[in-house]
Amino acid sequence: MKIKYLAISLALVTASMSSANADRLVIKGSDTLGAKLVPQLAEQFKAQHPGTTFDIAAEGSTTGIAAIIDGTAQIGMSSRRAKSSEVGAAASKGKHMKPTVVAYDGIAVIVNSANPIKGLTKKQVEQIFTGDVTDWSAVGGSGGKISIYTRNTSSGTYSDFKELAMKKRDYAGGSQKMAGNEQIAAEVGKNPNGIGYVGMAYTKAGGVKALPIDGVTPSSKTVQGHSYSYWRPTFYYTNGDPSGLAKDFVDFTIGPAGQRTVAQVGFVPIK
Amino acid sequence: MLKKLMFAAVAFSFAFSGSAVRAQEAGALLDLLVRKKVISDQEAEEVRVELSKEAASTAAGKWKLSTPINEIELYGDVRLRYEYRGGRTASDDFTNPNDWQERHRQRYRLRLGLRGTLADDWFFGVQLETNTNPRSTNVTFGADANANGPFAKNDDGIFVGRAYLGYKGFPDFTFTGGKMANPLVTTSMVWDDDINPEGLAEQWKHTFTLNFGGGGGGAAQSYSKGGYGKESKAVVAEAEPFKLKIDVFANFAQFVYDDTNPENPIGPSPTGVPTTDAFMLAWQVGTRVTFPNGVYFQLAPTVYNYTGNGDGFFGPFVGDTTDDNNIGINSLLVFDMPMEVGWKLWELPMRIFSDFATNFDADDRAEAAGHPGGGGQRYAWILGLGVGQLKAKKDWEIRAWWQHTEQFSLDPNLVDSDIFDSRVNIQGVAVKAGYMLADAISLNLTYSYGWRTNGNYGTGGVGDIGINPVDQYQLFQADMNVKF
Repeated sequence: MKIKYLAISLALVTASMSSANADRLVIKGSDTLGAKLVPQLAEQFKAQHPGTTFDIAAEGSTTGIAAIIDGTAQIGMSSRRAKSSEVGAAASKGKHMKPTVVAYDGIAVIVNSANPIKGLTKKQVEQIFTGDVTDWSAVGGSGGKISIYTRNTSSGTYSDFKELAMKKRDYAGGSQKMAGNEQIAAEVGKNPNGIGYVGMAYTKAGGVKALPIDGVTPSSKTVQGHSYSYWRPTFYYTNGDPSGLAKDFVDFTIGPAGQRTVAQVGFVPIK
Repeated sequence: MLKKLMFAAVAFSFAFSGSAVRAQEAGALLDLLVRKKVISDQEAEEVRVELSKEAASTAAGKWKLSTPINEIELYGDVRLRYEYRGGRTASDDFTNPNDWQERHRQRYRLRLGLRGTLADDWFFGVQLETNTNPRSTNVTFGADANANGPFAKNDDGIFVGRAYLGYKGFPDFTFTGGKMANPLVTTSMVWDDDINPEGLAEQWKHTFTLNFGGGGGGAAQSYSKGGYGKESKAVVAEAEPFKLKIDVFANFAQFVYDDTNPENPIGPSPTGVPTTDAFMLAWQVGTRVTFPNGVYFQLAPTVYNYTGNGDGFFGPFVGDTTDDNNIGINSLLVFDMPMEVGWKLWELPMRIFSDFATNFDADDRAEAAGHPGGGGQRYAWILGLGVGQLKAKKDWEIRAWWQHTEQFSLDPNLVDSDIFDSRVNIQGVAVKAGYMLADAISLNLTYSYGWRTNGNYGTGGVGDIGINPVDQYQLFQADMNVKF
């Protein structure tokens, strides 16, 4: 009899755990997405789906893609495309990296609002950030040694900007590395000769202005239309087409409510 | 359906483009399709993943290169050789006059290298070679048979022949540091081409192109950057279709010839001379003028100087017998002037090549060798004719030259190890003939015959023939080369 009760108890506990797992979504990856956007989306989603729990770990895009390969997350957040080596590694483990574009991210080039310069070309941006040009007078400014502010080397944006704007060349030797967008905006706002790059949400910071690049101002419209040069898609990666709770959350993210949050947080909606 | 069609189209272009650029091309094509609103970003990203998956499964996709590498090239060669080499003792040799010491050897060599360009105008190279000898990459079959039985591997080692890095970020300039291919324009009379010197090199080259248009109009000048060969020599291989091209170049080198260890010993110097590193310094300027129809002229006057003593080559050089110092680098201030004139005769490339060298410090070198008044032995020169070229299947080439070196003219540690057995004070004739069996495979025959230039001196240097003086010398080599 005792054995019978024990078996029933075990069955109930197991069923309870299964039920809990069914409503739990593990999301790992990009700190760009995972810092604000995804937690806010998760809160809204939970309001519509009571009982759902989220386990969100924002430790970089690489960890999100690795989590899909290893099967330790249902959704991998990434602010970059999966490398062919990662796609290959996934395939060798029988996984299929399925990308879903959830938002666009525009990277704005900012200068101090007192700087008379009205805009830059892509070539000039490359020259400035690589150190080929070191004085504002060389790019139409009023003169003065250019101070460059970049993200630190562990940032995905640091490498993305190299790829988007610098033909993968190295940053100028004297460039100063900042922890985040706020710090870059703050430093450029204080330094009349400063230049840096930030997410579009940070262009409203005091004392800075975003420059048109090749005559195109960074905005939701120019990023959506890809006419602005420095944009990038951000992703959810799943193992094949998402299903169950993961599918619901992906659909919610790219749906009208999710995209409103995307815009509110400072990203550019996909539609 | 549309996505599948797009994938098929992109995959098609992917498959039929070069492996190094196809991913980029596919990405550019997808970007264009998105901009034209033919497909959505989402569809493009799904296709990118499929293409990445395909690429990762190919052999090329499994090679991983670090991000800073822009371009990388694997190259090398394998050579099989039969060689006969013989040297005759002098007629006045006390024990064995007019006796030949002869060697028959079957040999192979392997050279395997990687060279590439990096981001921001940097470049690098690594080359592995068989044999520790700076003037030879050959391994003799069976030479180590007694050590561990037949076919032992004692002398089949792999060694670093080159390891260098450089920068080409300034127009016309190339800076190289490390163990590198010889950056100087030279000939085998002065430098064995197996030697990869160690140190620094600075090269500058500028090209002027002059077009003399019809009607007697003025000359127009244009500019072109680069032009150095893969071995970093300031030589332009082929004439371009223009009226007149003038390459002006300058090569400078600071080679660490011999490191002294320690520079500051406890107590007095064990060698009896100041303990300083030995450096070889080279200054070269030159020009190559290319006329229409493949006619060209090249001249590259050079000065070599030596500083410091080192702890292995501090001299004084004597070079009269095998027991003497045959490697000293004292009193060498060498002026060298390689020269070449080329033309085509019925589309057959022909050239006359020459080299003249003299040691300005030969008086001191001779006196230190125990031959006061022997400083007249300061000259070395070659004069030769080349016909044909070895570039593609069925090409052939013959080169023949006369070479004359005197005892105090050149650094015996650098001269070619084959033609006259790494020695000076030998003169004679050499002939090389080659035929390309395939684009990458050539057969080559080499013959040389020489004798002492001046019987009052030995044949300074350390060669494979273990006698000094070498009164007469013969060499025959038959090679099969595979170059890749």
